[in-house]
Amino acid sequence: MNTATLFGLCASMLIGLGLYGLLTHPHPLRKILALNVIGSGIFLLFGAIAFRGAAAGMNADPVPQALLITGIVVAFSASALAVALLLRLFEVTGDVSLANEDPAAHKDTSKDRPHD
Amino acid sequence: MTESPASLLLVLAVLLPFTGVIFGLLIGGRHVRTVALTTVALGLAVIGGIVWHALGTCSGSGTAIEYVLGGWSPPLGIRLRADGLSVLMLLAVAVVISLVSVYAHADFAPHDSGKETRAPLVFWLMLLAIWGSLNLVFVSGDLFTLYVALELLTFAGVPLVALDGRGETLRAALRYLLFALLGSLLYLLGAVLLYGAYGTLDIQLLSQVVRPEALSWAALALMTVGLLAKTALFPLHIWLPPAHAGAPAAASALLSALVVKGSWFLVLRLWFDVMPNVVTLSAAQLLAALGAAAIIVGNIVALRQLRLKLLIAYSTVAQIGYLFLMFPLAFGLAFAGMDSAPALTGGMLQTISHALAKAAMFLAAGLIYLTLGHDRISDLRGVAQALPMTVTALALAGASLIGLPPSGGFLAKWLLLSAALESGQWWWGAVMLLGGLLTSVYVFIIVVRSLAPAEAGWMPKTRVPQYQQMAVLALALSAFLLGLAALSPVDLVQLGRTPLSLLRGTP
Amino acid sequence: MMTTVLFILALGLPLGALLACTSPALRRALLPWLWLAPLPSLVLAVLAEPNAAWSLGNEQFAVHFALDRPGRILLGVAALLWSVAGMYAVTWLHDQPKQGSFVVTWLMTLTGCVGVFLAADLISFYFLLAVLSVGASGMVLQGKGEDALRASSIYLGLALLAESFLLAGLVLLAAAAPNDSLLIRDAVAALPSSSNRELTMTLLLIGLGIKAGLVPLHFWLPLAHGAAPMPSSAVLGGVIVKIGMLGMIRFLPLDIAAPNFGLPLAAIGLFGALYGVAIGLTQQNPKHILAYSSVSQMSFLAAVVGMGLTTGAAGTAVAVAFYAAHHLLVKGALFLAVGVIARTGRRHLLPMLLPAAVIALGLGGLALTGGALTKYAAKDLLGDGLAGTVAMISSVATSLLMLHFLRTLLQNTHVDSNARPPNGLAWPWLIMALASVVVPWTLYLVIPINTLSQALAPSTLWDGLWPVLLGVVFAIGLERWRHRLPRIPTGDVAVVLYTLGRANAALGVWGERLDNVTRRWVVATMTLITLAILFVWEFVR
Repeated sequence: MNTATLFGLCASMLIGLGLYGLLTHPHPLRKILALNVIGSGIFLLFGAIAFRGAAAGMNADPVPQALLITGIVVAFSASALAVALLLRLFEVTGDVSLANEDPAAHKDTSKDRPHD
Repeated sequence: MTESPASLLLVLAVLLPFTGVIFGLLIGGRHVRTVALTTVALGLAVIGGIVWHALGTCSGSGTAIEYVLGGWSPPLGIRLRADGLSVLMLLAVAVVISLVSVYAHADFAPHDSGKETRAPLVFWLMLLAIWGSLNLVFVSGDLFTLYVALELLTFAGVPLVALDGRGETLRAALRYLLFALLGSLLYLLGAVLLYGAYGTLDIQLLSQVVRPEALSWAALALMTVGLLAKTALFPLHIWLPPAHAGAPAAASALLSALVVKGSWFLVLRLWFDVMPNVVTLSAAQLLAALGAAAIIVGNIVALRQLRLKLLIAYSTVAQIGYLFLMFPLAFGLAFAGMDSAPALTGGMLQTISHALAKAAMFLAAGLIYLTLGHDRISDLRGVAQALPMTVTALALAGASLIGLPPSGGFLAKWLLLSAALESGQWWWGAVMLLGGLLTSVYVFIIVVRSLAPAEAGWMPKTRVPQYQQMAVLALALSAFLLGLAALSPVDLVQLGRTPLSLLRGTP
Repeated sequence: MMTTVLFILALGLPLGALLACTSPALRRALLPWLWLAPLPSLVLAVLAEPNAAWSLGNEQFAVHFALDRPGRILLGVAALLWSVAGMYAVTWLHDQPKQGSFVVTWLMTLTGCVGVFLAADLISFYFLLAVLSVGASGMVLQGKGEDALRASSIYLGLALLAESFLLAGLVLLAAAAPNDSLLIRDAVAALPSSSNRELTMTLLLIGLGIKAGLVPLHFWLPLAHGAAPMPSSAVLGGVIVKIGMLGMIRFLPLDIAAPNFGLPLAAIGLFGALYGVAIGLTQQNPKHILAYSSVSQMSFLAAVVGMGLTTGAAGTAVAVAFYAAHHLLVKGALFLAVGVIARTGRRHLLPMLLPAAVIALGLGGLALTGGALTKYAAKDLLGDGLAGTVAMISSVATSLLMLHFLRTLLQNTHVDSNARPPNGLAWPWLIMALASVVVPWTLYLVIPINTLSQALAPSTLWDGLWPVLLGVVFAIGLERWRHRLPRIPTGDVAVVLYTLGRANAALGVWGERLDNVTRRWVVATMTLITLAILFVWEFVR
């Protein structure tokens, strides 16, 4: 098993773990963390690909590195925005559950229904 | 191709809105509206220049407009490229953005007291940011820039959802953000896999080297599904109805008419331009099956809604479905060795007419809310008396959604229906017709209820400025008259595009 | 040159008036002038040279209009009815509140109607048909109360359903036409050799059948015609129901024998011809009786088209147009009569009722009326077999239904026995009554259908007498059994639609549940992953 494969396997594990976390944890903060774990997995994979480019004789493929930096910045901003929203949600409602939405939409509608 | 002044306009189309955002942030709350409106006016001129140039090349060389940033050509550098699809989308978005700006002039005025300026500030900056990111989506020539553009689009959309700061809209915004993030991560994963296999992310280079093999299948599947989550195609519409119905009218119009089109456009790019030889007809059928489910479920649920804005939001869920019916039609025609251009043109027309009509409907719903103080569908009495232009706009936009001639929706339906019957896929035609019938039911209900006379002595809660009504009517009219595009002497859609059958080679 | 001007005026005057309606002040001021709008169409129909045509547009795309012989016959009589009903509307509406919206829907329907009669390419036919349907459903909405709302929504729903079938059929027609031509003439000429011939004709026949009010999708017709204001009912019952017939003449390749389509159409038509009468006899409102008579008559015409299609008889189009023109005049006139007689007292009844009796029995084929001529023209197409026999039964049945109509008319006179109808209503009605006798005779001789001596031959006269006399005998018999007749609600099979409404609500609940489930976070994420796997699988396949 060479290093690139090891990195690749590691990345897949991170992505899998992140997806599992995203599915099973109802708390939004944990979902944000899970998304970051998935993101790390993808970045690791990208790094491994750059590394593989290096194995092919180049000094290391520069393009993935440049893209990685950008990707990390984007992921960081996304997390920051999500956490800010979460804090605001807690301030306003005192609750951070994502579950029940638009209660107004699903009342008994028989009375107001137009005839059809 | 060599760079002409028109190529520089592509850069301006992206940079100008973002410059506006930075400028607006620096100058601050009280003048942000002026900054935004100036930027919109300048941007409109830039887009006008691009369209003018494209129309010129259409009858001339017929090549796409290109700009290579910093002179570094791909695969190392980044290329901006506007073909027929891009130019049409740029134009449609510019029209919607400018008319929404006219409408929002009154709703998001900066307060002189200087106390609460957060909502206007956020609205105007995010309007510009949405515009900039959408333009970037349309002209980007490589998959990673597209990823960044899509993320920017999401980041600009989320604050609009939570503009009024109520708990439920914050929750809707957070759900939207988290689900969209998952989508973009899947997209990124796909892009990374493609880079790993082929060593480039440039669309044109990639399309020449990509092969139908396990890795590109996985990459295309991941990217497609990620984008579907961002587009909110049923059953991945988890975030759309509360997000679009909870935002203020002008914001809903932007979100529903424009933001979902960004990721849709990217699916189109991937399937038609990047990997047409990876795509199979059965996968395209799956995409359209989801679209058909969206049309049926979305319309049925829309009929159950009690509030106008939620109804329009569910109508968007259904209309997104239409955007995916073109895929098996175009590929079906291409597989059979026929010209797939009508299906593509039909799909583009469907998108643009939905953008115009849906923006008009959300804005109209906003005016109705202001006038009545509520938007319960069961009690729209007096709306026609107070807002005659708005009700006309609702009816015209509705006619476009149903697909009555001469609307853009009709022309799209005609083209797609011909494609469906010619490629032997009549079932997608049947779904389109059924969807039109279901749509007509709720359009009829809304229009008839707003025509009902008000009680004697009833007064509107707020007097709506005339220009807001005119902006709504202008949007609806452009959707309703879009079908007259058939009279256009040039076929802008095909500018700088290779026919699908040539890209696919012979299967 | 003059034809071009007439084409522009015929289409442009109603359209221009409609556009002028954007100003609310002009809208109300237009009411007294509604009768003018259809006049250019009338002049065009009378004066245009044979097969006149006009087109507008560039080489890429143009809209075409033309006036073929059936279209010309129908356009002329339709314009006459539109104009006279427009005069009637002034008095009918003078104390009504919703004048503005009446004018808008009237002009919209008129624009669509003239356009459909003239349209020569597929796109403008479909477009103007949509204008007509939306306008006509607005006309129905002008009636009073919840009934009008329900009738209007059912009307629009069925119209759009019909247009969905039509659209699919038209797209197939366009695909069959050579050189991307969108002309109806080219497309229909190419249809017999099209590989999709069966499907195209099925789709077209379903769409046009709904428009023509064929059983079992006829229920919108009595509901709509009953609910609309009287002048609107007159044009709906007279003109608008003919659109389905016109479409059949235009789009079916009538000169080629196609018994596999013709015979089923004839069977449905003949069944509907008797069914409409049977349900009509149970109705108490004169407007509903007239509407059911329309169902019966349009079905009968569909049967004539069906028989013509079976044998490939070239004369079908003109015979059908002639029959339809007579029905158009009579049915329009009778709707006007219902409004007049409701405002007439017993003492002044006779001059109003007598013309109604004559032209009503004309529908049953009474000798010397236009009806006898039209029945005579259709006779050869139906032949002497089963279809011919059913046609005779239908004549008797129609006479019976019309006697029932006259009886209910008598029960709906003004309570004040000295009341006189206003001139603004009485004169338009009498003009139409006169026209519905004179115009068919003129057409009969000008087209020409046959010779004068044939029309006055004793055997023809006898054919026009005995069904009516038999109808009278049955009517007397029916009088004894009247109390035993069942009371069938107007719209008969529409009752099924109301139960369908319940099923629909269940579907809605189901959709809502599905929506709620799919929008749960866990479900959505799982769906996302499943879809990714599904897509990979579809690519691999």
